[in-house]
Amino acid sequence: MFRLLSTFALLLALALPPETQAQTVLKINGSTTVNLPVAEAAEILRTEQGMAIQVDTQGGSSGGLSMLGDGLVDIGMSSKHLIDSDRSKYPQVQFEEIHIGEDAVAMIVSRDVWEGGVRALSREQLQGIYEGRIKNWKEVGGADQRIAFFNKSPGSGTWEVFANWLYGSAKKAPQVSFPEVGGNEEARNKVASTRGALSQLSASWADGKRVFPLALTTEDGRLVEPNSTNIATHQYPMSRPLFLLTNGKPQGLAQTFIEFVLSERGQQLVRKHGYLSLDQIE
Amino acid sequence: MASVGFTAFAILFLIGMVGIFLWQSLPVWQQEGWSYLTGERWFFRQLEFGILPMIYGSLAVALIALGFSVPIGVGAAIFAAEILHPRLRVPLKIAVELLAGVPSVVYGLLGILFLRDWIYSILTPFDPLSGDTLLTAGLLLGMMVLPTIMTLSDDALRGVPTGYRQAARGLGLTRAEVIFSAIFPQAWRGILAAVLLGFGRALGETIAVFLVVGRQDNVLPEHWFSLRPLIEAGQTLTSKLGGAETHIAYSDPLHWAAIVGLGLVLLAIVAGITWLAAWLMRAKEVSDAPGI
Repeated sequence: MFRLLSTFALLLALALPPETQAQTVLKINGSTTVNLPVAEAAEILRTEQGMAIQVDTQGGSSGGLSMLGDGLVDIGMSSKHLIDSDRSKYPQVQFEEIHIGEDAVAMIVSRDVWEGGVRALSREQLQGIYEGRIKNWKEVGGADQRIAFFNKSPGSGTWEVFANWLYGSAKKAPQVSFPEVGGNEEARNKVASTRGALSQLSASWADGKRVFPLALTTEDGRLVEPNSTNIATHQYPMSRPLFLLTNGKPQGLAQTFIEFVLSERGQQLVRKHGYLSLDQIE
Repeated sequence: MASVGFTAFAILFLIGMVGIFLWQSLPVWQQEGWSYLTGERWFFRQLEFGILPMIYGSLAVALIALGFSVPIGVGAAIFAAEILHPRLRVPLKIAVELLAGVPSVVYGLLGILFLRDWIYSILTPFDPLSGDTLLTAGLLLGMMVLPTIMTLSDDALRGVPTGYRQAARGLGLTRAEVIFSAIFPQAWRGILAAVLLGFGRALGETIAVFLVVGRQDNVLPEHWFSLRPLIEAGQTLTSKLGGAETHIAYSDPLHWAAIVGLGLVLLAIVAGITWLAAWLMRAKEVSDAPGI
């Protein structure tokens, strides 16, 4: 009898809702690149206005898009443009792209490569490395060290920008198998701790202390570094917009949040994390 | 009466789960057939799904784990069960069971902090790409399953009736001979079951492997006993499932089916091993000769 009662009590406890929510939660998910200013904006709004906001970085830009499309989050964070196949996967959803800043993708190398003399790469050299034809840094002007290329994981906006520039379109990128890194943090840590390492990283994360951003050599031989001037004037080719995505025009909590990010305080956060705010872009 | 209900519920849940996995992975079985299991190339953007490299990765990592943990674990179990003073046995048992209960993500973090860099520096003469290799993941798993193997082997050894030990000593066998000629033959089935359960745990481990295995697809050795891939980055069934692809797979039905198929294959392998271990444990009880 006692056993029956305790089983019943357990089932009842499980059936009750886990928590009564006093307020709705604003859910945000997506790119680790956009996450930096967004997470800090969320913290400010939590403290100042008592808003309940959850920010996550599951699956990168693609994760942000798909979770928004499936109605799991209110705002998606993305560091790449939406393309037609994205929209056609979610025909019911009316995606709104809200531009909040600009960033660039840099090719970063570890200290030993930088000090070995490699300061820039051309598109052809990068294609050679990506396709596995160039395997050693000495073939591109560096020391005799194996190239340890870490590819960004699927779903990463950073990868798409890289592939778009290298091959004209992400779809045209060849099939390759490289060790994978997830978000920006992991990419930076792995490149910093591995000899001969090369990877793609948001330009503002390349601090020049642990990892070093390479310049790109253009067709006419100029070296274009990923600094703010070159990114703002679009001379550095691998620049990409930072977006907040919503389903339809933002309303309610989402609208409050987005208006904050677009305000001067929010744009200051964008600059603080090394990205370009809207007024800096031409 | 209630226990019949709960058992039925458990069985139905299991059947339902396997059924859902089969149903959701149907597209990839239809599209690829057996070449899903034997195919060597996984390129999801081009919708090519062959999982042999991941099966190889899972097996390699788990076997390395066993190679590390079985000698040490069984040896420690023999020491604890046969040689150690009884008063020290309980604290040791408690310590080992605590280790067995440590969440795997803690091992993963320790792996990133220490094991990666240590292996990277040791393997330098062989020119590895980085410290994230199948070997790193295997050693990390070995440390994880070591407490499990030790504890279960210890139980198997102590399950042998004391009569065996007394009879053997009475016949004049030395302590080593008692252990290896009288006790071990009785306990080996239980020890093998312990090893198989450790193997199953190693195969199913996700986070720790995900953090240090390198996550490079399509790594297969050229011949079966080539050791080179072990010091390169690899991919296991679990590290693929724990990765970013599962977040983007559900926008394409074939990609999603391939991901669910990974789960089905993993389920089948681990279930097979668990069944084998259970069968071995049962056979031991049957052959227990009474009255010695």
